[in-house]
Amino acid sequence: MRKLSWLLLLAVGACLTGLGGAARADDYTESVQPLIESYCFNCHADDTTKGNVAFDGFKGHADRIADHDFWLKVLKNLRAEVMPPNKKARPTADEQAKIENWIKREVFKLDPQNPDPGRVTLRRLNRVEYQNTIRDLMGIEFRAFEEFPPDDTGYGFDNIGDVLTTSPLLLEKYMEAADTIVTKAVPTVSRVVAEQNATGREFKSADGDVNAENISFYKGATVSRTFAVKQAGEFRINIDAGVNGAFDFDPGRARITFKLGEKVLVAEEQKWQDEKAVNYSFTETLSPGDHTLTMMLEPLVPVEQKKTSVDFRLNKVAFQGPLAREHWSHPPNYDRFFARAEPPAGKSDRRKYATEVLTRFVERAFRRPADEKTIAKLVSIAADEYAQPGKTFEAGVSRALVAVLASPRFLFRIEEAEPGGGKGQFPLIDEHALASRLSYFLWSTMPDDELLQLAGRHELRQNLKAQLKRMLADKRSNEFVENFVGQWLQTRDVEGISINERAVLARDAGQDREQEKARARFAELRDIPAANITPEQQKELDEARANFRRRRGPTVELNGELRNAMKRESEMMFEHILREDRSIIELIDSDYAFLNERLAKHYGVPEVTGKDMRKVALPPNSPRGGVLTAGSVLVVTSNPTRTSPVKRGVFLLDEILGMPAPPPPADIPNLEESEKEFKDHTPSLRETLEMHRSKPLCKSCHDRMDPLGLALENFNALGMWRDAERGQPIAPAGQLITGEKFSEIRELKRVLATDRHLDFYRCLTEKLMTYALGRGVEYYDTQTVDDIVARLERENGKFSALLVGVIESAPFQKRRETGEHADLRSPDSKQQLVQSSKQP
Amino acid sequence: MKMNPPSTRNLAAERHASLNRRNFLRGIGACLALPTLEAVRPLSLVAAPTGAAQLATTASGAPLRMAYVYFPNGAIQPNWWPKGEGTDFQFAKTMLPLEKLRHQIQVMGGLDHVNATPGPDGAGDHARASGSFLTGVRVRKTAGADILAGVSIDQLVARQIGHLTRFPSLELTCDAVRKSGNCDSGYSCAYQYNLGWSSPTTPVAPEPNPRLVFERLFGGGSHGERAKSLELRRAQQRSILDFVLEDTKALQKRLTHRDRDKVDQYLTNLRDIEQRINRAEKFPSTPDPQQSTPGGIPGTYEEHIAIMFDMMVLAFQTDSTRVATFLLANEGSNRAFPEIEIPEGHHYLTHHQNKQDMINKVAEIDAFYLAQFGKFLAKLEATKDSDGQSILHNSMIIYGSGNSDGNRHTHVNLPLIMAGSGGGTITPGRFAKYGGVPMSNLLLSMADRMGVSGLERLGDSTGRLPGV
Repeated sequence: MRKLSWLLLLAVGACLTGLGGAARADDYTESVQPLIESYCFNCHADDTTKGNVAFDGFKGHADRIADHDFWLKVLKNLRAEVMPPNKKARPTADEQAKIENWIKREVFKLDPQNPDPGRVTLRRLNRVEYQNTIRDLMGIEFRAFEEFPPDDTGYGFDNIGDVLTTSPLLLEKYMEAADTIVTKAVPTVSRVVAEQNATGREFKSADGDVNAENISFYKGATVSRTFAVKQAGEFRINIDAGVNGAFDFDPGRARITFKLGEKVLVAEEQKWQDEKAVNYSFTETLSPGDHTLTMMLEPLVPVEQKKTSVDFRLNKVAFQGPLAREHWSHPPNYDRFFARAEPPAGKSDRRKYATEVLTRFVERAFRRPADEKTIAKLVSIAADEYAQPGKTFEAGVSRALVAVLASPRFLFRIEEAEPGGGKGQFPLIDEHALASRLSYFLWSTMPDDELLQLAGRHELRQNLKAQLKRMLADKRSNEFVENFVGQWLQTRDVEGISINERAVLARDAGQDREQEKARARFAELRDIPAANITPEQQKELDEARANFRRRRGPTVELNGELRNAMKRESEMMFEHILREDRSIIELIDSDYAFLNERLAKHYGVPEVTGKDMRKVALPPNSPRGGVLTAGSVLVVTSNPTRTSPVKRGVFLLDEILGMPAPPPPADIPNLEESEKEFKDHTPSLRETLEMHRSKPLCKSCHDRMDPLGLALENFNALGMWRDAERGQPIAPAGQLITGEKFSEIRELKRVLATDRHLDFYRCLTEKLMTYALGRGVEYYDTQTVDDIVARLERENGKFSALLVGVIESAPFQKRRETGEHADLRSPDSKQQLVQSSKQP
Repeated sequence: MKMNPPSTRNLAAERHASLNRRNFLRGIGACLALPTLEAVRPLSLVAAPTGAAQLATTASGAPLRMAYVYFPNGAIQPNWWPKGEGTDFQFAKTMLPLEKLRHQIQVMGGLDHVNATPGPDGAGDHARASGSFLTGVRVRKTAGADILAGVSIDQLVARQIGHLTRFPSLELTCDAVRKSGNCDSGYSCAYQYNLGWSSPTTPVAPEPNPRLVFERLFGGGSHGERAKSLELRRAQQRSILDFVLEDTKALQKRLTHRDRDKVDQYLTNLRDIEQRINRAEKFPSTPDPQQSTPGGIPGTYEEHIAIMFDMMVLAFQTDSTRVATFLLANEGSNRAFPEIEIPEGHHYLTHHQNKQDMINKVAEIDAFYLAQFGKFLAKLEATKDSDGQSILHNSMIIYGSGNSDGNRHTHVNLPLIMAGSGGGTITPGRFAKYGGVPMSNLLLSMADRMGVSGLERLGDSTGRLPGV
């Protein structure tokens, strides 16, 4: 039935657009107003203005169709079947299509032939993008997350042009980072001593069981690694090691010996320090062949005296040589920047070579070719530097590279339009801009050489499908999974969220209030000054302390390993849909999950062993499967000591159904306040919520959120299954505001996956568009979203329908030429940005 | 060392820009978290209030300096607090090394940091002790990227007086290895490894390498070459800045509407940096100390501390800065002290379970630290300032810790010493008991003496500290 209504809608849509622009107001009075009168006026006209909505409050037709925000709300409520309410008469599919189309064509003025691509504000690279771009451009790791302040988010994502500001502090950091990065990445000489590096892990015992990454002072070991020498000569061996003791003192001592072949280089005694660097440097004349560097650790204190621990750690060995100049070679990373083996000698040859080098680099850094004037200026910067006495050509070029990395054309994604486009038609973005949109969307980094070359030859659009396939197959596409899922499902937050395991479990068992009382009494006793405490009080205090210790028995620990497994589970679920091109409905309901032993145990799924996360077929009737019941979602929507049905409900509305609840009014009491109204017993969360929403002010919103959240009450704040909360059985049954009933979570998933699946299609489409475009979805995108949803429906929800739909859409492919529509965004649409921002 | 503080910017322009940004963000929603720091910065430079103290200057016209030296893990109380009160007092054992400078010392009792106590946050007294020390705030309990403290007093002062010297402030430490991520009970290491905060989210990282400190202050190379090396460095910066400025302006012309606003923001901030370089050029002669550049970090801790203190003396003597902080070791430091034959870690020892041998060792460590501080004060006392007084006379130097009793983690009656006479505005040579008021009050009173205006409050402050 729903499918039918869709086809109908599309057909009607096609008819209506053919009508042309005549008799707009008549259109409304004749075909739309009667429907609105019969379905909406009862509550929203003639002085009855429920929810502050009045259909008859406009001063005239012009006024009526100017209010985009009003009609966008009407459209959303109508489509989500929130309005007219469940118990009232609803328009037929035909009638609904009539209203929808009138809104799209007459209010929003959408032209399906020339959809408005909207306006993306110039986007600055965010921290993830900056870090990845530096890696690909410069060949080094830069820790943007430590160096730069966090990016602001809008619409729930951190790549939104409007909110990516450049503070004075950030600019300063950019300037400093440009310098640091170039210094680290760009060689300033053409030849250096060759160097072989080895980590401590590469130093192994004869049987291979022990390596030198970390060896206890109580465990003797002999480990070695062999270095190959091709040319005879002088070599330098730099050893970077250290003593790493436990926090508390340990009497351990050990003799550390380094030998090259049979020659002892150093033998020294070491003792406990909590962190101490040990560095050696030796120069040796070596003949061609293999040379083995051996490290021996001899314990000097028997293990019986061990108190805590102390280890020797071999970090790195640099084996350099031959030291003689004639054997030197290119430093690492040299070829990334410099095409020739050596810079030429003559002045004009050097300038020419500098021009070549910089042209090549700038095209990659700016993601499009630069004009000659820019290159000439950069060459001057380089030449001014390398003309100084003692400065190399490479050092000069590196100065120019600093300027490139500080340029707004590197830090911002500048987009140009293709020429032409025809009168009144929105032009396509040019191919370089397209290359960047694709690469930052799917890889969170700069376009690679293949994309840039195709764009340069103007062949990217014609090869779009093949390139998409290649980009998704590339491992850089993991960035898309991590960053999109990380923000859409908030899996990024799993690692940091604070959950008190003991309190959660105590609450499930109905012991939380007793524990609270015991803790309060303990604190009271503890604060009595030692001089005043009575023997009875002292005794009570000792007992309380012992009780606490006893209770610190085995518990569930939401540690890093488990958190990471939860994060990976949700990411892998999404990745599976993406890579196997499955239906996105499986994100709601599936008969499989991604688990390892730890997570499976946490979920109560049997027969999963080992640390590797993998696809697991779930037992029949398992409540798991799909993101709703994934640990990451359950945990990030909880409070530190208990679940939050409200947070969970809002999460489902916002992230799955695309039905944002209005923001809470000011001065609402929190749930714990409502708890106080229960005198006779400790209320369950469901009872408390019911008390809270008995107030009319709270009811309308909570009716939307609570049934969804309460359906998840079978999962505690750690994401574990439970049958009771505070000793009372969980009652997960409920009814959606749209009328569908469910008895528990499995049934709710089925309802969402069938009856409400179009809501999910639309929601995920809007999320993906937001992420891909770097702007919020606006009323003028309605047609684009409708088209993608229709495509998903046609192609059984396959992920490719969504992804290709977004990439082929006008907003992704085109831009508003100048600023002509720039101020069309209504102030209300800004309001929406705030509501859906996840980090207010 | 912080090179480019907000204070040396064109304040009017910055205020304008930042308010614009704010209004913009307010337009798109008040819920977007903005650091609530600098929107309403006092405009003392633009419109200096009449009658206010002169900026960082003594009555005799010499520079007035302010410094904070931090030692970790609190102090053994009986060995710390003097006997007696007021001018009639005797140093206890730990402070004996300061006897000769008694006339420049005020031992300060009864100052607290309530925001370092567990409160609702539980364990993590070390992180909070250093995090609140100069900010007065309760730092956010997080090990992640969302660290949040408050702007520290040294940075607040540097913002307003930083333009007077070549460097607004100097940050030193002896911790060469920094940990990152989670340090103390779920607190980010940032709270323990930094004293200064230029914004609530931005710690000012201190420098452990004396060579880098020296080169930053006076230029690279040997005596005689340093001015030239600084000049070269500046020329380099300028050529890059010129390129970026031109590039930005060219770009700006081609953009419209909101895109243009984005680049405007960029351009405004670039111009600020340009002005700073201009200002740096205005200080005509960079001092060039007649001594060789220090090598890297010395082998022993004692030498390391000494040379870092020397850097501070040099910076004050050449009036390169008037604000400095020195974190001797991160709060919670577990360094062993082989130089005084203590093989166990400092932090470990402070949890002494009332065992006398452990208590004695901690007291020895306390005395070791204080002896190093005493040598530094002696140098400042022996160095004459432009007005003929000693530099110590024209300084206010706090030595202290954010933990009082390291065994029990208390944060009341913090171990604090103020050295120097603040150019004659403070009264040393006594043991003053302030009777349980926020240390933040002291920090504000020091800022007042630095001539800084517009600071109403700091962290948990309840007013000023009278009778300093």
